[in-house]
Amino acid sequence: MRSWLAHHVSSFADASRRLLRTPFASGFTALAIGVAIALPASMYLAISNLNRLAGDLPAQPEISLFIAENATQGERDAIKQKLGAHPAIGRHHFISSEAALERLKAKGLADITAGLEKNPLPDAWVLTLQQASPGAMETLRRELAGLPGVESAHADSAWAERLQAMLTLGRQIVLLLSALFGLALVAIASNAIRAQILARREEIEVSRLIGATDRYIRRPFLYFGALQGATGALAALGILVLLGLAMDGPVSRLATLYGSPFRLASLGAAEGVAVLGLATLSSWLGAWLAVSRTLRKFG
Amino acid sequence: MIQFSQVTKRYPGGLTALDNITLGIEHGELAFLTGHSGAGKSTLLKLIAAIERPTSGAVTVNGQNVGRLSRHTVPFLRRNIGLIFQDHKLLFDRSVIENALLPLSIAGFDRREAMKRARAALDKVGLLKRERAMPVALSGGEQQRLCIARAVVSRPALVLADEPTGNLDAGYAIDILNMFKDFHRVGTTLVISTHDERAIQAMGGRVIHLDHGRLADGA
Ligand SMILES: Nc1ncnc2c1ncn2[C@@H]1O[C@H](COP(=O)(O)OP(=O)(O)OP(=O)(O)O)[C@@H](O)[C@H]1O
Ligand SMILES: [Mg+2]
Repeated sequence: MRSWLAHHVSSFADASRRLLRTPFASGFTALAIGVAIALPASMYLAISNLNRLAGDLPAQPEISLFIAENATQGERDAIKQKLGAHPAIGRHHFISSEAALERLKAKGLADITAGLEKNPLPDAWVLTLQQASPGAMETLRRELAGLPGVESAHADSAWAERLQAMLTLGRQIVLLLSALFGLALVAIASNAIRAQILARREEIEVSRLIGATDRYIRRPFLYFGALQGATGALAALGILVLLGLAMDGPVSRLATLYGSPFRLASLGAAEGVAVLGLATLSSWLGAWLAVSRTLRKFG
Repeated sequence: MIQFSQVTKRYPGGLTALDNITLGIEHGELAFLTGHSGAGKSTLLKLIAAIERPTSGAVTVNGQNVGRLSRHTVPFLRRNIGLIFQDHKLLFDRSVIENALLPLSIAGFDRREAMKRARAALDKVGLLKRERAMPVALSGGEQQRLCIARAVVSRPALVLADEPTGNLDAGYAIDILNMFKDFHRVGTTLVISTHDERAIQAMGGRVIHLDHGRLADGA
């Protein structure tokens, strides 16, 4: 048990020494892995920032709730109470039929309204959602439309749906790209390990002749692969930080112009750890594939 | 300990290296394997260590049919065999002591215990003073002795030596053969392939003579 642990420790030490002994080769491999990670990761960041931006936009999707002309005062009060207490509703305000008519007049449509003997516009509530997802919006609209005293409820959610659809598409693309670049990463790692294996062919052969198991032979290469993936992930995080720094200035200037407090968000700690873990794992996998193939060739 | 039953080994390409060999080697026996170049000496040793597998027939070591071992059990067979190679097969990127430690590291020995044993083995072959040296800095005879130290460091019950005195002058060869005598005395089973007739006479042991893959006499 202790010697097993000792071999793990010495394999790890050996792998780090080998990584450091060829700083240029290791550096370029780390850079290649870093770019392969940074591409989908920066797209992911762009999309999650867009998503946040969509949530922050002043023109939030709204639901207009038109009150029936013959609604009783009791029903009107019940509606008001319901809107105030509903957890899914953000802001809500009342526009009386008179106020609505005034607005029309103010917009220069006095000519049309002048001829009317009776105000045709209904009383209405305009409300925004706590969370603007198309699904939640439709659920709420249907719920409110069913309330007694409500004539109809309209959701102007088309643009929100379109944006959401685009973001979903974007996320799908990121997912596909991640899978592709993940494959690339495995290939890069496996290739780098192949060079290591070629350089250590003798050692593998001799070790096998004097009783080394496949597991024993694989161990230092797996550590090498894992370390390589980890350095690649660090390179990727470095690239993302540089990209963030480059983009931060222009984005906040743009946001300021629009009077928005929006600031670019970078990768969170959990996401950083996930990148590190996945890169380490795929590079480990690449090493495993490369060594196993070589061992099979030895027969 | 070792039993060959009607063993034939044909290499891809149709060449028959061993032809219908039947022989037994007892526990603690010292056996020399002789024959012209290409007679099949190395092949016979490789079959015992499961480096090659017989085309037909069975090779058993301690009752185990080694030709049938799975790739996961072969390493455990080899840990009980000390192999001395015709071409040494030392690792030139690590020191003398690290080379001697390799079998113990593979077998999972505690590092401290392994160091003790490796030093003892190097001492026995007269290389203890060179433990920090790299193998390139060793002479041919010293490299051969390091190979022997590595083969016996885990105190295997069976040692297979392929031309251990191959390219050495007579003085060195006697040294090395005396070492084998010592191993023989403590009960190790030894199979040594050699061209060196003088050595065999000096040592006195069983001789297995191969001629074009066939057993000639002494078996
Ligand atoms: N891997 C191989 N593939 C094909 N033929 C081989 C292989 N190894 C050995 N042979 C052939 O098998 C025959 C026996 O070879 P082997 O190495 O056993 O001879 P040997 O007695 O050890 O010779 P030497 O004294 O020169 O070492 C030779 O003719 C050789 O050419
Ligand atoms: Mg030979």
